Amino acid sequence: MAVLYDAIVIGGGHNGLVTAAYLARAGKKVVVLEKRPRVGGAAVTEEIFPGFKFTMFSYVVSLLRPEIIRDLDLPRHGLHILPLESTVTPMENGDYLAAWGDHDETRRELYRHSPRDAEAYDEYGRLMHHMAHAVRPILGMVPPDPTSFDPRDLLALLRLGRHFRSLGAERLHALVKLMTMSSADFLDEWFETDVLKATKSASGIIGTFLGPRSPGTAYVLLHHYMGELDGVFRAWGFAKGGTGAVSEAIASAARGFGAEIRCDAPVARVLVKGGRATGVALENGDEVSAKVVVSGLDPRRTFLQLLEERELPAEFVSDIRRFKFRGSSGKVNLALDALPSFTCMPGVGRHHRGAISISPSLAYVERAYDDAKYGEFSRRPYMDIVFPSMIDPGMAPPGKHVMSVFVQYAPYHLNGGWNDAKREAFGDAVVNTIESFAPGLKSHILHRQVITPADIERITGLSEGNIFQGELALHQLFFLRPAAGWAKFRTPVRAYYQCGAGTHPGGGIMGASGRLAALAILGDGA
Amino acid sequence: MPHEPFCVRFAPVLLRTTPFHARTAALSEGQAWRRWAGYVVASAYELSHDREYHAIRSAAALFDVSPLYKYMITGRDAARLLDRVVTRDVGKAKVGQVLYTPWCDAAGKQLDDGTISVLAEHTYRMTSADPNLRWLHRNATGLDVAIDEVSERTAALSLQGPTSRAILQVAAQRDLAGLKYFHLTEATIRGIPVTISRTGYTGDLGYEVWVHAAQALPLWDALIETGTPYGLTPAGMLALDVARIEAGLLLIEVDYFSSRHALIEAQKSSPFELGLGWTVALGKESFNGKPALVQEKARAPAWQFTGLAVDWESLERLYADVGLPPRLPTQAWRTSVPVYSGGRQVGYATSGGWSPLLKQYIALAHLEGTFGTPGSAVEMEITVEHHRRRAAARVTKLPFFNPDRKRT
Amino acid sequence: MNAAGRWDAIVIGADVNGLVAAHYLARAGRRVLVVDSRKAAEQRADVGWVPPQVIRELSLASHGIQIEQPDPWIVAPLAGGGRLELWRDVAKSAQSIRRISPADGARWPEFCTRMRRLAGVLEALYVQPAPDIESREIGELLRLGALGLHVRRLGKQTVIDLLRILPMSIAELLDDWFENDTLKGVLGAAGVWHLRQGPRAGGTAFNFLHHHVGSPAGVFRPPRSSITQILTAMPGVEMRWGAEGAVVAAAGTATGVRSGSEALSAPLVVSSADPRTTFEPLRPQLDAEFVHAVGNIKSRSIVARGTVNLERPADFKTLCLAPSLDHLERAHDDAKYGRTSERPYVEAVATDGHLDLHVQYAVTIDQALVERVASALGVPAGQVRLEPQAGHLYHGELTLDQILFMRPVPGWSRYRTPIHGLYLCGPGTHPGGGIAGAAGRNAARVILRESKRS
Repeated sequence: MAVLYDAIVIGGGHNGLVTAAYLARAGKKVVVLEKRPRVGGAAVTEEIFPGFKFTMFSYVVSLLRPEIIRDLDLPRHGLHILPLESTVTPMENGDYLAAWGDHDETRRELYRHSPRDAEAYDEYGRLMHHMAHAVRPILGMVPPDPTSFDPRDLLALLRLGRHFRSLGAERLHALVKLMTMSSADFLDEWFETDVLKATKSASGIIGTFLGPRSPGTAYVLLHHYMGELDGVFRAWGFAKGGTGAVSEAIASAARGFGAEIRCDAPVARVLVKGGRATGVALENGDEVSAKVVVSGLDPRRTFLQLLEERELPAEFVSDIRRFKFRGSSGKVNLALDALPSFTCMPGVGRHHRGAISISPSLAYVERAYDDAKYGEFSRRPYMDIVFPSMIDPGMAPPGKHVMSVFVQYAPYHLNGGWNDAKREAFGDAVVNTIESFAPGLKSHILHRQVITPADIERITGLSEGNIFQGELALHQLFFLRPAAGWAKFRTPVRAYYQCGAGTHPGGGIMGASGRLAALAILGDGA
Repeated sequence: MPHEPFCVRFAPVLLRTTPFHARTAALSEGQAWRRWAGYVVASAYELSHDREYHAIRSAAALFDVSPLYKYMITGRDAARLLDRVVTRDVGKAKVGQVLYTPWCDAAGKQLDDGTISVLAEHTYRMTSADPNLRWLHRNATGLDVAIDEVSERTAALSLQGPTSRAILQVAAQRDLAGLKYFHLTEATIRGIPVTISRTGYTGDLGYEVWVHAAQALPLWDALIETGTPYGLTPAGMLALDVARIEAGLLLIEVDYFSSRHALIEAQKSSPFELGLGWTVALGKESFNGKPALVQEKARAPAWQFTGLAVDWESLERLYADVGLPPRLPTQAWRTSVPVYSGGRQVGYATSGGWSPLLKQYIALAHLEGTFGTPGSAVEMEITVEHHRRRAAARVTKLPFFNPDRKRT
Repeated sequence: MNAAGRWDAIVIGADVNGLVAAHYLARAGRRVLVVDSRKAAEQRADVGWVPPQVIRELSLASHGIQIEQPDPWIVAPLAGGGRLELWRDVAKSAQSIRRISPADGARWPEFCTRMRRLAGVLEALYVQPAPDIESREIGELLRLGALGLHVRRLGKQTVIDLLRILPMSIAELLDDWFENDTLKGVLGAAGVWHLRQGPRAGGTAFNFLHHHVGSPAGVFRPPRSSITQILTAMPGVEMRWGAEGAVVAAAGTATGVRSGSEALSAPLVVSSADPRTTFEPLRPQLDAEFVHAVGNIKSRSIVARGTVNLERPADFKTLCLAPSLDHLERAHDDAKYGRTSERPYVEAVATDGHLDLHVQYAVTIDQALVERVASALGVPAGQVRLEPQAGHLYHGELTLDQILFMRPVPGWSRYRTPIHGLYLCGPGTHPGGGIAGAAGRNAARVILRESKRS
């Protein structure tokens, strides 16, 4: 009965599943322990109301690493990413701004708002393409430690330095600007159309506790273009079956390599003996032994919950305590009996097959942030809306629809705390705001699910409901993620590793952390 | 400010149609269309472009060239702006003159090429292949100049071929013998005010007619009616492509890439490397890219843009080796084809095809240094029955075809 | 009419950096003319660290330079009554803080030590031109290496602090260390000086450290000195007041300065004026991209300066009215939407029988603001006088994308300009405003080094 695994993966989120798959592919005996009845973490699809499948938390696949898609042969395990090509932003005066898949069409659309912005858009796109290309290697690398004198770190730092110098002055300067400026300021240098800047900078604030005018939000503008680099792999789109299907595909690949996945198996703590991890104890008391334990949970849970504090250096504990989570996003999922008609584009049209961004102006998004700064949810929030049933008809009964609404801001630390009444008030603010752009929406709602950061934490375990397992702020990235000196997927406890988005390169459904962690484990000769 | 009421826009259609579309669409027998600057234009009207091409060289062809980007530059500093941007000396140009010119970035690499028409004192119309509104504005800071994009408001037709002058003289009811090459004049055609410039993209006798978009259709009808007895034939881009290669005229995104679009340094070209050294007025006080171009002039050219004429016997032999007669591309190609000398690749051809007039397989190519000297023997790659072979070719001075009637 | 070649160099701007540059050039034997459009020098203390190199090399001590060392260096009213006083002695401040928060008092000494070490790194950076990370010159690479080693030798913690803290917001930094709102407000205010940002914005921790430069551990306001007055009175350069200075250049080379209708010629022109103003008359000769980059310099002026007439002497040297980080944040929120702060942040320094004021965030300077300031200070509005908006004092905000090799525009951080013979030396260049004379000295040394080569 006392089975000894090569590795235990705590948490069946997509990164944990990726780690398990790579380890199993290398011949290791792996078991994944997931507390919920299904794997996926925040990448799950659930039939909350009969016939209606909600891609409950995350809703688009962004930047899923092509090497993972290839290595695990995910298409054979059911991964099918569908195009999500347009973004339409309704404006408060009844007009709209649309970005379509076709370049000429988008140019023409921008032209009617501003001829100069139409031309700037091309140049901007080219620059961002170069920038994404420049930054890409960083996504796939293990962060070197700048404080160490280890020759391997020094060499890596040197290579990094040379890589940046090879960009040339112009691109290097653009990169510095991207890393330090606010998305609003950065876009102000390129464009004059406010609704365009608002929509683009909105992508810069997702998952952060920052507004479009906050420095440090410009670099997230790169993410979309990084997805474009892997264009043929379609790293940016909607997975058939919702993001839950992505998790299921990775799980299927892992099982295909021989990994075992146990659901309804919440882990209580990691067993440590002599400074070394030897296994885990489940909440029901059962113990599972392994040579190596990997946590896919966020850094707070990985270190402060699963371990005794005395197992860790004091400095490290305070670093982890200081690691910022402040969840700021909520989600509203609706089951509809018909698609809403937007004032700016009446009826049913192509725009329903893409994303609708509620970001009519920079001031609008900035005000949404202001509300959150002082502990309230945004009265008129920023929203990113998709209709999964329009892209994948299997998500709802024929003729009916599901509407996925990602919302910011909903601060985890709400004044007075979250409760049922506040949740409903938040849901009302969301629905009322959409209604102001699409009158009649409310009359089509069959069911409504509102998810607050407190709910995200309760259901998935993500601390403070932060969808990226820790804010993507410059001082918490790369070699500082989750703490200086511990950014290489190892931990102060031997044979205990971390593989979640709380490590480099951070959040989004990339799987990169899971893969890099697995490679680190294999490299350590586990 | 939006240009049209937005409620009209909601019918998300895809590409623009030119002001002549009602006429050109009706003529399309094979529904062969292509994109140009966000517009749809005809690749050919008939099922083959053959007759359309021959009309260029034997009678007259009518092309819809409306998708060109056009800008009106007016004001006290109009010439100063243009002189800052382009390589040619605009200040020296007289009213009624048209200049063909490229323009460069600060490093002397070519951004685009087009024409500048001197319509009146302080009044210029500039055309370009790529959008340049932002670039013009960027260069205009501190100048007393107005830049107005008139691309959609101005329609344009190109009338090319040996009978083109005769047709226009009847249509405009005046003598055009005095209109010199690369000059323009105002005229009226059936009461429609137009500008006629003796310019074109075929290297032949030809004119371009510029009109306000609202009167595009009446103009078309007038020219067709007047021209048909002279053999005027509406022609599409496939025919134009063959003619322009015969004329040795380069095409952006095919024969060179704008430095704006370049992903790496090697994708950029200077005017000297494109055979446009004659347009670079180094005597001008200053213009974008001048310092770099001065330095480049002092060195031996790294690249030369020349013509290639494939040797028929060599070509025939390659096909005979597999038991086939030679199969020549009647449609011009726009891909990159390696060119060799002494077993080593020394360049690449970017446009090429069969010239029905010259009865030669010709190409436009970029060759390293001295390999581009006219008369040099090189080899051009040709795929024969799935195998890459090499055919002998001779470096030829451009243009391949340069009839007297073009200039007289 | 001037004889050609009457001066070797003309400096535009008799502010501290212009004067420092002028005197350095004069010391090297150049005939220097300084022009300034004001009628006379301002009788106002300079705010900012005077690098010891400047004091030593220009013999400012023997000329009687005064550097204030107020103790306590700041006082702030407490919410429940009474005042918080912070002293030049770290232990004394710790005691003072312990009275309002024992935990904060206990952490104060280490906070001071850590911040001082980081400020020391900045000081080393500021007395030389910005590191040129694109250079391939051996000399430059060695300098970069030496800098890296210097930092590393300060210890692993300092390296981590440097990498972590520089991009952070001052609010996060202070929230990590302290709990008391007043203490955090006083410290946080230095993080937003001359920035159109609130304390929660990234980069404000850097700005906070920038304003700690030149002060001992535990003192978080820059020193005040009389350096401009001293330099104005020092012989060695010719001064011309009431003279505008517009740079004149032909074919990309500077030929001198135009002042009104007069043409003053010199082969070298050094401008300590705002880069935008400096390049305005030269636009036709400048490359479009450069002009665009200069136009993009963020210099949103939101500071109002002024004075308060006092009936009785003040019982403080510096008074800070920033009761919490949220107060600063809300004051900034107003500015974000183009409005002057409903409840501004006000700081007052007692000097010569009146108060010097620093007010943020002032979008428009009008009577309404005067009243808000007066109300915050508890004085009659008639005693408050605010100066009209005069442009950004630092000629460019000290945001993370506008410092070091990005200042004043990327690629032109070493005082040279595309115009041959024209140099910049003002606060718009490295190391930025609030550092008295470092830019002027750096620029002069670059000029002298380059002329030696040619």
